[in-house]
Amino acid sequence: MGTNISQLERDIGSDFPANEHYFGLVNFGNTCYSNSVLQALYFCKPFRDKVLEYKLKNKRNKETLLTCLADLFYSIATQKKKVGSIAPKKFIARLRKEKEEFDNYMQQDAHEFLNFLINHINEIILAERNQGKVKASTAGVSITENGSTLTNNNNSPNTATTEPTWVHEIFQGVLTSETRCLNCETISSKDENFFDLQVDVDQNTSITHCLRCFSNTETLCSDNKFKCDNCCSYQEAQKRMRVKKLPMILALHLKRFKYMEQYNRHIKVSHRVVFPLELRLFNTSDDAVNPDRMYDLTAVVIHCGSNTNRGHYISIVKSHGFWLLFDDDMVDKIDASAIEDFYGLTSDIQKSSETGYLLFYQSRDAEK
Amino acid sequence: MLKNNPNTRKKMQVSFVVRDAEEKRHKRGVNSLQLDHNNGRLFSCGRDAIIRIWNTNQVNMDNSYIQSLEHHNDWVNDIVLCCGGRNLISASCDTTVKVWNAHKGFCMSTLRTHRDYVQALAYAKDREQVASAGLDKQIFLWDVNTLTALTASNNTVTTSSLTGSKHSIYGLAINNSGTIIASGSTEAVIRCWDPRTCNRLIKLKGHTENIKSLVISSDGSHILSGSSDGTIKLWSVGQQRCIQTIQVHTEGVWCLLVNETFTHVISGSRDKKVFMTEIRNPYNSVLVCEEKAPVLKMCYNIDYSGIWTTTWNSDIKMWKLPKADKISNQKNSSNLSLNEQQPVVPVNTNEEKLIKGGAAVEKYVVLNDKRFMVTRDTDQNVAIYDVLKAVKVESLGKIDFDEVVKSRNKMVYVPNWFTVDLKTGMPTIVLGQDEVDCFAAWVSATEAGLGVGQTENGSDPKVNYGSLLLQALLEYWPQPMVEIDNDIRGNEYFKVPKHTPILFSEVGGRTGCRLLVRDAAGDTESQLLHEAVPSWVADVVIDRNIPRFIKIPFFLLPHPLMVKQDRMKKDRLIANEFIQCRKVCEHVLDKILMENPAPTGVNSSQNNSDTSEGSQIPAEDKIELLCNEIVCDPSMDLRTVKHFIWKQSSDLTFYYKTKPNFS
Repeated sequence: MGTNISQLERDIGSDFPANEHYFGLVNFGNTCYSNSVLQALYFCKPFRDKVLEYKLKNKRNKETLLTCLADLFYSIATQKKKVGSIAPKKFIARLRKEKEEFDNYMQQDAHEFLNFLINHINEIILAERNQGKVKASTAGVSITENGSTLTNNNNSPNTATTEPTWVHEIFQGVLTSETRCLNCETISSKDENFFDLQVDVDQNTSITHCLRCFSNTETLCSDNKFKCDNCCSYQEAQKRMRVKKLPMILALHLKRFKYMEQYNRHIKVSHRVVFPLELRLFNTSDDAVNPDRMYDLTAVVIHCGSNTNRGHYISIVKSHGFWLLFDDDMVDKIDASAIEDFYGLTSDIQKSSETGYLLFYQSRDAEK
Repeated sequence: MLKNNPNTRKKMQVSFVVRDAEEKRHKRGVNSLQLDHNNGRLFSCGRDAIIRIWNTNQVNMDNSYIQSLEHHNDWVNDIVLCCGGRNLISASCDTTVKVWNAHKGFCMSTLRTHRDYVQALAYAKDREQVASAGLDKQIFLWDVNTLTALTASNNTVTTSSLTGSKHSIYGLAINNSGTIIASGSTEAVIRCWDPRTCNRLIKLKGHTENIKSLVISSDGSHILSGSSDGTIKLWSVGQQRCIQTIQVHTEGVWCLLVNETFTHVISGSRDKKVFMTEIRNPYNSVLVCEEKAPVLKMCYNIDYSGIWTTTWNSDIKMWKLPKADKISNQKNSSNLSLNEQQPVVPVNTNEEKLIKGGAAVEKYVVLNDKRFMVTRDTDQNVAIYDVLKAVKVESLGKIDFDEVVKSRNKMVYVPNWFTVDLKTGMPTIVLGQDEVDCFAAWVSATEAGLGVGQTENGSDPKVNYGSLLLQALLEYWPQPMVEIDNDIRGNEYFKVPKHTPILFSEVGGRTGCRLLVRDAAGDTESQLLHEAVPSWVADVVIDRNIPRFIKIPFFLLPHPLMVKQDRMKKDRLIANEFIQCRKVCEHVLDKILMENPAPTGVNSSQNNSDTSEGSQIPAEDKIELLCNEIVCDPSMDLRTVKHFIWKQSSDLTFYYKTKPNFS
């Protein structure tokens, strides 16, 4: 390990950014799902800054997953050494207490963890803000829609009326689903908040293609007609989902685990999907607040292996213009061109692959 | 016999329409029109499922109504008049195509080939051929002479089907000589076939949205199309391309009408406007009229000097058309207005003639008693319906809907036993065995105001709303399998109007049979009923079985304040949900406190005792029942207590205590 660390410092050399620390996270037995996501989040600067700010403001709080996360981030940020590894012991212990599903040594889904973590932190902030006056609402629910899933955060009325938290400000976007009755041609639309977008993956495509498919028009017909209020009857309708408010950090979940009925289990879809370093969304609604937001790729959680149960998670992050690969307690500098290796496989043969699974795109206007 | 009927494979439901015997006015939007140019009779079909015939020669349009053609039970989307006005063919959301005798006004046959809404019809006059198409993506070709010759015994029809469309079809046209047929669909492509060979001819691409209206020139060389993308396009069939795009509307173009010489098009749109435009020179365009709602259909009047139009509203209006040469004269002014977006003034400000439509029921609330329903129509008139008796009982005029609901709702809970559908603008009540069980509502006959029926030992009989209503609906149905002395018809409390239409249909699907209450006695109808009536209906109507009582479990505990807490055991009891609290009081008194060993209604499905026999003082005067710390009125039933006081899904819990003066 020692050689590794010095190697990293040597690789970066004199460009090593001041006040930056690259620390690996020790694996406590299949905790790479957490390590990879935590590293990705640590290098989402707006998120890291807010967590550290929380740490400084809330000195004597009772222990929550957020205080554990803040302590972990703080401890990385205040290390004397520039590189090394750290054991997120307290965080993992707290996580296992908070959620039964994570209280074991099995491999977990990194997206489920991210979803849980963001929602849970948001609830903690809301609960602390309301000081028990208003009960924080329950964890997010996932709704399957249009072949893609969107993760809904708290949609309870009290969230809507209270001011957004910093978690909202960083991750929350708004989707609008527009339904057009084919008989009266009236459009009805409904807004839904999201913390991440979940997109289907097709072979030899790009993220832009995935997002376009996400917003493809779906026709509600035959036994699935739309009850049109205007027509007072069931009619055919066209429905599509578009982004109305673009979040500061756009988290994309590539749905690489498909349930196959014939095998009665989830199969990993290793299709090659190109994720560009720069991204602009084209599936925005006509009334979108900020449709021209330009995004830069800042972190990718990568799944390695051939299926859900076996496998490993690593992450690559961009820091001060260069790319780093975090594999639990190991950190390496990589060339930007190496990112291509994580797009996926062009052949459909089932074999082990290292593929981008969660993508974190940061809005260019988020950097002051 | 009926129970083993193979037709009961799919879940069936029974529905009926609450309406007048004759509905002379359209209730909702009018989807299509046809004028018989021989005699000026106008046929209109609408969302109220009724086709009406009007005499347009009348000076006073108020007297123009001739008759109604009724047999559809969902929106009638399109009609064509054929055989020189002798027959009418109609297409409906009930998935059927019907053939009518247009002179006498009766339904001759029903074609059930389509599997989804039938949206459009087209008629090739020279060949007496009709095509039908709809949301099942299918086009069927019918030989009208075969259709009109159908009889009960000779009822097989062969049809040609045109395949290739992968999208729902909303528009259809055929030329008079029947050499080319075109379909418009959500694919935004016009597909053409040769109806003689059923071969595919061409596809025309250019629109960006659904195509709802199509016209083909007589020689089949040109096609005009109106699309939801707001444009009208002229296509050359020979060149297989669009040769003109007309942009006069700001929203979807839903109907087109072309003059005999194919030089001018009249277009109606969602933007409520009707334009007349020279096809080859679209700058020559005039606004014929501006309607108050999106325009659905147009047809020429008897001398082609004007057009009849229909909209989402129920009115049918006649507008004067400008002369074709007058349109060209307006070239400059119309050109200007298009460019500078000055408001275009319609050539007509008022219609020439008006066939007044009626108001549609557009809103309803079923009151807590689950018998009466408050409705509001499109004219803002509020009315009260008695669902049980299938009648409108009160018209309250233009008053506040919510206030009426508030003032009429009583604190009583009765389970849902029917659902309401307003798609036709007249309330359709649906009885089924699905999520809403039509036998769920048991009520006291006295409380329901049904008068005292057969009362033995002065008890108050309980009646089942769904059962009573089904019996009333099928009152005239003779049941050959039942012996004469057992032949009980209807129910002993009330009758429903004889003109009420009853429908038997698959849940969320196609209609099996439609008839009027009074017609159930007819031989044909009676036979039809034997096939259509589901077993759960036959159970109560023929076998006179009593639907099951619905039980409710509850706990009965002594109140902590009871001086004499002799029993601490938590009693879990089960009783019919319509049992009143006074029965529970009697149970407490007789069975728990053992004052009187009299039988009670609790724990038994029979209600053979009203008051405890041995006591002069009613139990409710001695015992007080509390639920959630609220004293329950003795006449309140268990389900009402559960719904309004307990308000939880867990078992209802009562605390009893003796009243101070009796402790």
